[in-house]
Amino acid sequence: MGTELEWISRSVPRIGALERLRGMPIFGADIQLEDCLVLRVFRSHRPHAKIMELDVEEARKLRGVEGVFTARDIPGKNLMGLITKDQPLLAQDRVRFVGDPVALVAARDEESAQRGLEAIRVRYQELPSIFSPEEALAEGAVAIHDKGNLLHRRVVRKGDAASAMERAAVVVERTYRTPHIEHTYLEPDAGVGYREWDGTLVILASTQNPHYDQKEVAGLLGLQEEKVRVIQAATGGGFGSKLDLTVQGFIGLALYHLGRPVRLVFTREEAYLATPKRHPLTIWMRTGADSKGKLLALQARIVCDTGAYSSYGVAVATRAAIHATGPYEVENVEVESLAVYTNNPIAGAMRGFGVPQVAFAHESQMDLLAQELGMDPLQIRLRNAFQEGSSTATGQKLGSSVGILECLEALEPHYREAVSSWKGSGGSRYLRRGVGLGAMWYGIGNTGVQNPSTARVELDDDGRVTLYIGAADMGQGSTTVLAQIAAQVLGMQPERLRLVVADTARTSNAGASSASRQTYISGNAVLEACAKLAQVLLTEASDMLRAPKHTLLLKGEGVADSTDPQRSVSFMELAQRARKKNIPLSWQGYFDPETTPLDPETGQGIPYATYAFACQMAQVEVDVLTGRVRVRRVAAAHDVGRAVHPEAVKGQILGGVAMGLGFALMEEFVPGSTVSMKDYHIPTAADMPEVVPIIVEAPEPTGPFGAKGVGEPALIPTAPAILNAIADALGERIYQLPANLERVLEACIRAGHFPSMEVK
Amino acid sequence: MRGTFAYHRPSDLDGALELMDELGGQALPLAGGTDLMVEMREGKYRGYHLVDISRLPELKLLELQDGEIHLGAGLTFTEISGSELLRLHAPALVQAASQIGSLQIRNVATLGGNVVHCSPCADSVPGLLVQDARAILRSLGGTREVPLQEILVGPYKSGIQAGELLTCFCLRSASGMWGAFHKLARRSSLAIARLSLAVLTRQGEEGLSDVRIALGSGTPVPRRMVEAEEFLLGKAPREKDLWEAGRVLASKMVEVTGKRPSTVYKEKAAQGLLVQAMLPLVRHGN
Amino acid sequence: MEWEEQESPAPIGVRFRLNGREVALEVSPGESLLYLLRERLGLRGTKEGCGIGECGACTVVVDGKAANACLMMAAQLDGREVLTVEGLESPVGLHPLQEAFLEHHAVQCGFCTPGMLMSSYALLSCNPKPTRDQIVEALAGNLCRCTGYEQVLEAVEAAARRLANGRGR
Repeated sequence: MGTELEWISRSVPRIGALERLRGMPIFGADIQLEDCLVLRVFRSHRPHAKIMELDVEEARKLRGVEGVFTARDIPGKNLMGLITKDQPLLAQDRVRFVGDPVALVAARDEESAQRGLEAIRVRYQELPSIFSPEEALAEGAVAIHDKGNLLHRRVVRKGDAASAMERAAVVVERTYRTPHIEHTYLEPDAGVGYREWDGTLVILASTQNPHYDQKEVAGLLGLQEEKVRVIQAATGGGFGSKLDLTVQGFIGLALYHLGRPVRLVFTREEAYLATPKRHPLTIWMRTGADSKGKLLALQARIVCDTGAYSSYGVAVATRAAIHATGPYEVENVEVESLAVYTNNPIAGAMRGFGVPQVAFAHESQMDLLAQELGMDPLQIRLRNAFQEGSSTATGQKLGSSVGILECLEALEPHYREAVSSWKGSGGSRYLRRGVGLGAMWYGIGNTGVQNPSTARVELDDDGRVTLYIGAADMGQGSTTVLAQIAAQVLGMQPERLRLVVADTARTSNAGASSASRQTYISGNAVLEACAKLAQVLLTEASDMLRAPKHTLLLKGEGVADSTDPQRSVSFMELAQRARKKNIPLSWQGYFDPETTPLDPETGQGIPYATYAFACQMAQVEVDVLTGRVRVRRVAAAHDVGRAVHPEAVKGQILGGVAMGLGFALMEEFVPGSTVSMKDYHIPTAADMPEVVPIIVEAPEPTGPFGAKGVGEPALIPTAPAILNAIADALGERIYQLPANLERVLEACIRAGHFPSMEVK
Repeated sequence: MRGTFAYHRPSDLDGALELMDELGGQALPLAGGTDLMVEMREGKYRGYHLVDISRLPELKLLELQDGEIHLGAGLTFTEISGSELLRLHAPALVQAASQIGSLQIRNVATLGGNVVHCSPCADSVPGLLVQDARAILRSLGGTREVPLQEILVGPYKSGIQAGELLTCFCLRSASGMWGAFHKLARRSSLAIARLSLAVLTRQGEEGLSDVRIALGSGTPVPRRMVEAEEFLLGKAPREKDLWEAGRVLASKMVEVTGKRPSTVYKEKAAQGLLVQAMLPLVRHGN
Repeated sequence: MEWEEQESPAPIGVRFRLNGREVALEVSPGESLLYLLRERLGLRGTKEGCGIGECGACTVVVDGKAANACLMMAAQLDGREVLTVEGLESPVGLHPLQEAFLEHHAVQCGFCTPGMLMSSYALLSCNPKPTRDQIVEALAGNLCRCTGYEQVLEAVEAAARRLANGRGR
């Protein structure tokens, strides 16, 4: 194996960028199949109702309509869900939110499909609708699902928070609220499908998890898994929403019955209506510290509105509870977190799984404590930040790669400069400046469960290496990073690798592209597979070159003697030689992070093998006449373990800051009234501040070349930093996101910065 | 989105007016199409006849005549915001034009389209109102010249009659006047105004003269805020005068619109917006 | 097309230049340029992100100016010149904008990329040396959820420099 890192920490050209720059037809909606039928989904307009009668006969008879399907036409088990199976593909006898699918129309063209939709008749019987977790948990509330409205309760308890709170010199207690957030990936969900000669149903779709899709579609259709093949089409962003089935089940169902090519492309409006959102959270939090600012105790009650079906609700409630302390040592912790069904849109996974919401709470609490104690916000964070050997709320002892202090230290000069010179040097009576910090920690991978990844590498007789990876790349760049890891181990150029990606027929399961896990987990699987192949090559080369293995080097698709680089042998020669000896040239890699399940009563355990850490600083200007906030600068320090591709890491940070800025200031999905992109605002280029990404590398010994992950961490600290900066500017705090024009102006008025109050 | 519309492209204004006359209520003038296409996608206007007026040279007029600006209804916002002539004679309108939608929209969308749509939050309208704009409406029967405010009958409801085409606006030149347009929105681009304010005035030794203020997004249709104008007339405004003018403006807004959930914010923000817009007029030492 | 309407209106003949080639065809009233490009001409580089002019993913260049193809009626194209992402590349290779996007890591999921390229192209063809603010203004109608825009802005700056130095068309 090469000792110098030639392909790691290097920003190679992104794999797949060229096709995108040329506008090649690679996305789901772009793929053209001969004689392709159009699919459209008939959805409920009621938030909660029994289906008394569903009549699709008229629709079926229409010219151009080739099929109309309902729950009765689902041959397998009509239930979906990665964690909890509670969601039908098509409503069985009841609808639970506005947008719940009821029937599927297949037609020759859009117009016929539309006429088909219009001909479907449903008679509903209204059921009481529940739009908040409080109502859902109230005595006598109608049960949205048979087992009741409480999907999940997670407790994390360590020490004795109640009595520690009594010893605290200061205690702050507040309630924080966050809204539904829509992922607003740029590509509305889309896919196509066709039937193979052997009856296999092939689905090409926009997805974050093809192997899960395959299993789920096979289950719905009552088929063996190998009879369903899912291939990831180019995917235009996911951010968690494309972890659930979107178009795949419908495509599968139509293929099953019709056997003809089909296509389902959501409009933006349908993507908004039908796909999961970020959970709205209500977080009550009480934090106590001693007179020096050392945290003593934290109590929290978190309620997550998971909407009509569970999706990733369990994961969100659990992660929110585990991360509620922030990246700080707290001896005494008592957190209860609930995921509750309502008749709101499904809330599922979105970049951060509940952690962005709790980070808003714990970081506001840190500033409030600092304020009470007359401490500097940076100081209180430095005092409490995790270090090697610290124990988390779940009792996990952090071994190494704990980079939060390094992040805080990296930010310190930016922070001092902002506070001492920027804040005082500009602004005016009506334009107030503020500086704020937001820190976070984030467990890499799924929580307290096995979540292995696999990968395979193969050397052909012609000397070419093929890497098979199951991991879906939605734009974050996992394919490039995994190729770099393989290239590094095999001493070859990444672009010389043949890649087979995210195709269930050709790649093995890598798990979901979620939880910032692919670099760490699939990276290790790739590393292992390639290391095995490298061993075979070195052994054979050692034989051929008559040189000890430790002097050999993989380089340029061959193996060379480092003591005499003229002496080398190519991969092709090695492959042919190994083949003759029946030595395998195809190797599988496997990695599963070491975790333990959390205790159901106390939440104690090892939920994640490693954590990413970050802190960001925001500088804002608040226009106190109108409530408008401009973020001028964000400095973002992220401990990623190792940046395999520094420009991609920067890209994640820059994009995360943008998404965090939207979460802080403007994004709010209001069920029933947010319909299209006219109603939902994500930041434009003109809303972005200067962003200074700072990469901190506290190497993770179990990570590939020390790497952890950055996808979700990038977003998490931004909103807390901006909200703390607004509070710094105004001397008045906002406890509900987004801090939009209305809430900011109201805070300006409360703080007395809007002087006209007394004027009649 | 195919079928169910008919499309006509007359080659000149007379041809367009003949079509408008012939088709009557079934005619739908099509200029930039940026509003129309969105509504057609929602299923509106099936069976209508689209009369494409986007290339009629008569609608691209832009000239200064006897102290009046003649501004074709077919000018795009890019054309308006890039016009040197308008920068001198219609400063608030130029600022408004450069803040509409996105560049892609401004390249296509027209002034006339923005006006006839009669949206409460049409950004160009306050900029026109402060110039005492009159609209020229042509039909086979003749020409009508009406104050712009008269076209704005209600939200999404214009006073243009069947067979009529809005061809042009006549604006009093604002040469030498101080002008500003401020827009409050949830983001910096691609945003619908929560409130907008256009101001034109003259600053002299005797204080402000010829004060003209128009508010957008605060009332069912954008309108001049005469009470606030009168309050400021003749004042060399101090900051507290602006606050008082803002209060006058905000209370008129609430009087016209009534109390709504959004009033809590808009009442204060309208006041703040006026202060912000006119703050540069406050002389130091006041 | 198999579909038919009872009161099917007369199709409209249009003739325009598309990526340098003369195109003559019949379109229906109400048909958008986006539909024409993607569904009838098979040019699927132009993306539909919202259908209502709010995202810029379908940006094309019409007579030198950036426009949303979803809001432009195909019937209005007669005599115009349209450039889509498929027309950027020349026989000698990528357009300097495409090269700069590649080198500056301005592509993540890539769905907004064609629209970003076309907005940038329109900007640089009328303003070869734009300031950062002018680039932001030109791209503020193109939403991106992945990149946070910075690497895109850097790429446009780099392409402008490259074009100024005489590389590219």
